[in-house]
Amino acid sequence: MHDREGSEKETSVRVFDRRATYWALYVLPVLWLSLFFIAPLLLMAAFSLRADMRGELLQSWTPTLKQYAELFATSSFWRLLGVSALMALAIAISATILSYPIAYFLAFRAGRKAGRYLVLLLVPFWTSYLLRVMAWKIILGSDGVLNSLLSYLGVIDQPLTALLYNRNAVVITLIYVWVPFAALPILAALQRIDLSLFEAAADLGAPPVRRFWRITFPLSLPGVLAAFFMVFIPTVGEYVTPLLVGGSEGSMYGNIIQDFFTKAANWPLGSALSMIMLVGTLVLVLIAVRLVRVQRLLE
Amino acid sequence: MKRAKYLSVSNCGVLIVLALLLAACAGAATTPAAAPTSAASTAVPPTPIPPTSVPPTSPPPTAVPPTEVPAKDQTGSLTVLDWAGYDQPDFWIDFKNTYPKVDVNFEIGASDADIYSKMKAGDQADIFHPYTGWLQFYVDEGLAQEIDTSKLTNWDKVPDYFKKIGQINGKQYFVPWDWGFTSILYRTDKVPGGIDSWAALLDPKYKGHISMWDDGPGAVAVSAYIHGWGDETKVTPDQLAQVKDEWIKQRALNLFYWAGEPELVDGMAKGDVWVAYAWQGAYATLLGKGVPVAYANPKEGRNSWMGVYGIRKGAPNYDLALKFLDEKLGVATGNNVVNEFYYGDSNIDVMNGITDTTLIKAFSIGDPTILQKTNFTPNLTADQRDAWTTMWSEVKAAP
Repeated sequence: MHDREGSEKETSVRVFDRRATYWALYVLPVLWLSLFFIAPLLLMAAFSLRADMRGELLQSWTPTLKQYAELFATSSFWRLLGVSALMALAIAISATILSYPIAYFLAFRAGRKAGRYLVLLLVPFWTSYLLRVMAWKIILGSDGVLNSLLSYLGVIDQPLTALLYNRNAVVITLIYVWVPFAALPILAALQRIDLSLFEAAADLGAPPVRRFWRITFPLSLPGVLAAFFMVFIPTVGEYVTPLLVGGSEGSMYGNIIQDFFTKAANWPLGSALSMIMLVGTLVLVLIAVRLVRVQRLLE
Repeated sequence: MKRAKYLSVSNCGVLIVLALLLAACAGAATTPAAAPTSAASTAVPPTPIPPTSVPPTSPPPTAVPPTEVPAKDQTGSLTVLDWAGYDQPDFWIDFKNTYPKVDVNFEIGASDADIYSKMKAGDQADIFHPYTGWLQFYVDEGLAQEIDTSKLTNWDKVPDYFKKIGQINGKQYFVPWDWGFTSILYRTDKVPGGIDSWAALLDPKYKGHISMWDDGPGAVAVSAYIHGWGDETKVTPDQLAQVKDEWIKQRALNLFYWAGEPELVDGMAKGDVWVAYAWQGAYATLLGKGVPVAYANPKEGRNSWMGVYGIRKGAPNYDLALKFLDEKLGVATGNNVVNEFYYGDSNIDVMNGITDTTLIKAFSIGDPTILQKTNFTPNLTADQRDAWTTMWSEVKAAP
């Protein structure tokens, strides 16, 4: 009897311990996210149901679908959302493909120097994102590196103006920005692969190419998908890069949202545009997740 | 197996989290502080023209009633919501010298919309700095306090046509301060025939070498001038649709929409941009750099804008704020605006004192009819603001 009571006490202490740990670990992040992520999202949703900016900012207002009605009537906004999603898709696919060899090299070929190379890969992040984008202006500009080189080589006599200030410049710059990021989840996935699998495959006579496609690639897919979505999701709403290198024709959906907040003081319409993008991106991701059955890959 | 030593999975996880954080920061922190959006936003002042030999004017008399604390002993604190660059002491030097013990703090707004949004959201600044076009709603929404001009010793230095700009509903809510022209700025080597109309901004002849300001109301004004619609606030919905169509067509000719003056100056100096919508600050800067540019006198008339200062309704330091605005009108402060930012000042003594030829050209001081030929930016209603800015977003989003 006495023993049983003792063990019960022990169990309850253990449960308490676990609860305490749970709260200690989760309360802070949950509070933080509620305050600075969930609350602003809700506020944005509420603002999208406001008729205009008149009156006190935090007064109660009668919800109206006016902003959404205006959006549904403006086909160009929808089209731009589609264009931005397509651009994000192209950028995410390119960045993932380009970063795979980097991750592969770091995981299997770099050996002792892997740590050093990884630092090198991350060095660009020590400078501001803005500066890295500005660098592309210097590379692609009419008196930039590329044009100077081409005219020095005698290939052109007039600077190519088609390099900068268009959608291509935005795509090129964003791929550059994302490649080092995309390499990280792929690297993590590659490192999880049990090397004895390769030995077994080699013993059974599988040549290197076959080993790659039958073992390495399938097992790295969770990392590849993580990389893809890590690039795709934020790129749909990107606005800084198009602002700097996109010119008049290179605006993305994010630029329109930004304009409504910073140039038009029209928060309700800007919020509605943001909500549409949020829902649109979520739907795209859900469809993608269904298509590739991430669950099975992660098992 | 060996590699596990150098790069463990858990290490990588930490790195990824770090990288993601970096990415998040990059996205947020780089919001275009670098791409400000209006007249006063030349955050990096262009290389100043050598100090002009402004005749030494005596400092403005600081009329202190004998019962009051002497200005130099007056204490207190003021918060000013201003544009980047205007927080430099040069632009409030008279106040700083007269009231050395008053603590002046600055908050920075990135655009008119930003400053308005901040004030609307309950910013506690005593003084704020909007520009023409954006004044009416401050009064409509009860954010601005009427100015007691009888307490401004420099008020009689301000010409009546400037005073009027700060009047809303017949009352003086704002003190006019900095101003400038907007016109078409062009490279004389690339456009040898010169430019005499706002229509040049939509002329296919200059395809790929035009730069328009990134601003809906600016585009509406240009269209209104070209079509002779008169005051752009009279633009009808049908006309607004026409404006949208012509600027969508213009987009194919336009290299980039400029947001901050340095961006435009850079494009014109390089020779990428030949024809641009521009403030005279850009003109003066390019002249100073030796770039062959001219500032058009379009047959439809130039545009002009003005920056004004307002006092927040309910500001606890109303009297001190008035003193700040009075000193803002001082000659030393005005000279710095003229010489460092190439903008005009509302104090007529400052303008009459300009002797530098570049500046005389920039302000067209030799042309006594220039102000009659100028279209001042009218104040928009909230509905016009929303309609015009939405129109501009549709231009940018158009296929």
